[in-house]
Amino acid sequence: MSMKQTKVWLILMIALSLLGLASACSKAPEGTSDNNAPTTTGKAYTAKGNEGTITGTIAYNGAAPAPKKIDTSADPVCGQKSPNLATEDNVVTNGKLEYAFVYIKDGATADGTKVGDYTFTAPSDTVTLDQSGCHYKPHVMGAMVNQKLNITNSDPTQHNIHFTPKNNPDWNQSQPNGAPALTHSFARSEVLVPVKCNQHPWMKAYVGVLKHPFFAVSAEDGTFTIKGVPPGTYTVAAWHEGGANGTEKTMSVTVPASGSAKADFAFGEGATAAGAPGLEMMPAIEVPVIGHH
Amino acid sequence: MNRGLYRFALLVACATFFLIIAGALVTSHDAGLATNDWPLSNGQVFPKMVGNLFWEHGHRMVATTVGLLTIGLVVFLFAKEKRRWVRRLGLLALLGVIAQGLLGGLTVKLSLPLAVSAAHATLAQLFFCTTVSLAVFTSRSWMVSRPLLEERAGLPLRYICTAAAATIFLQLIIGATLRHSATWDKPLPTDLLLTHIGGAVAVTLLLGSATLLVLRRYRDEPLLTRPAMVALALLIVQLSLGLAAYVVRAASPNDPQPLNPMVGVTVAHVACGALVFATTIVLTLRVFKVLRPCEQALKFSAATQQG
Repeated sequence: MSMKQTKVWLILMIALSLLGLASACSKAPEGTSDNNAPTTTGKAYTAKGNEGTITGTIAYNGAAPAPKKIDTSADPVCGQKSPNLATEDNVVTNGKLEYAFVYIKDGATADGTKVGDYTFTAPSDTVTLDQSGCHYKPHVMGAMVNQKLNITNSDPTQHNIHFTPKNNPDWNQSQPNGAPALTHSFARSEVLVPVKCNQHPWMKAYVGVLKHPFFAVSAEDGTFTIKGVPPGTYTVAAWHEGGANGTEKTMSVTVPASGSAKADFAFGEGATAAGAPGLEMMPAIEVPVIGHH
Repeated sequence: MNRGLYRFALLVACATFFLIIAGALVTSHDAGLATNDWPLSNGQVFPKMVGNLFWEHGHRMVATTVGLLTIGLVVFLFAKEKRRWVRRLGLLALLGVIAQGLLGGLTVKLSLPLAVSAAHATLAQLFFCTTVSLAVFTSRSWMVSRPLLEERAGLPLRYICTAAAATIFLQLIIGATLRHSATWDKPLPTDLLLTHIGGAVAVTLLLGSATLLVLRRYRDEPLLTRPAMVALALLIVQLSLGLAAYVVRAASPNDPQPLNPMVGVTVAHVACGALVFATTIVLTLRVFKVLRPCEQALKFSAATQQG
């Protein structure tokens, strides 16, 4: 090999390394320039005492795909604690769907103020995501922007908790067994942030992050309740995982003063719930930022 | 010729091939971020090798071994090898393995950005190619002086082989980018997939032409026919593996976890790709060594240099 060829190789290797470095260092989280930017300004919402509720049921039409059994042999501890671990993407009991994330996507209160024009303070109490039996509990959960998320490891094995958001920075932390709880929060709203464990690749969960507290996750019987909703007319969305980005359905709901509104959704074969299905994870409603264009 | 040096260079090349397999296992298992720590794993030199940490930390251990072997090879070269350019190639290999280790750490610390992960996978192939070249240059078949064969008339084989090697390298870059653009639970991007299929067609045409020409023109020259036959056989296996990889990878987003068929086929596709590249490099080097350019090629070369 001639000197000339050697030099070409050297230059190629250095160029490749520099290209990788430059690209990596310039990487910014997606969505940093959109209106998902964190904000502390806006009209603070004050409870007036006439708030209502949105209740409903998530149905699943047709036969739901059977849960798939998970092979935990890569980490024997997982099999000992969860001998019958299975997927949780379609947990259907008597035609009712668990783990659908329901939230107010858009709309305005009775006085015409858009719900996105209000700011809501994140509660001081934390929400907890536990790793137990090598699966996440709960499988789907909600949190407000900047609300503290407590991550615990109840397993006698190591995990790593890895949030893979689109609008927030990627976050990956190892958590050996016996390690203290980790805390994390999201500065931007996002429906929904996928969570995974790269140690145990079957472990999956989702966190819906919103700037308001009007969200719920359907229970085992498919029911949900969103409390403290100001009277008004809203677009309510229900999201269910599956496919590349999940499926979202929406409907318009009017909440009367001190009253209750119904929002029933259906997924599965030939589901005809009101509203159009959305095939992508949609950004949640945003509070406009003063001076933000 | 030092037989021990050749054997050691061959050992480094084989260890590097094993390292490529170990790296491919990490990607197929989505184990790259099984720990956010580097160079230690969860703060330990020898962590408990359970779950995907087995693949990630195992890869690091194999990589460390290859790094040490490469240092040993460089020392061996400087002690026994008289040709300066071969010693320099050894140094280049050492630089390559150091850069590769740093890229590996960088991709973990930055949460697997596509460009860094793809660069890491590409540099792995370049490093493998360098170690294979060192084994070729220190082999007896390379050192033995032999009469040069005249290139037959027609398109010079050296150009076709070089074009085939370059196309395979580009195809490896596309393949690395494709593999790292989506984890097992996400569909592969269609545009990259189509580019990779287009690359496979180009590689088939070029490498197929090169190997068939060798087998037709120089059937009595085993130094050329052997790598040509191996390359042709590997190409056929690789195309079959590519098709199989597409099928299992298209199904994997519906699986609860990375399943063995998907892992096995995709890793075999990566490994076979590395072998196709290495064999083509061997063939190309030997074509340059054994064949004397015909008048037509010399004229073409002179015209190119003047132009």
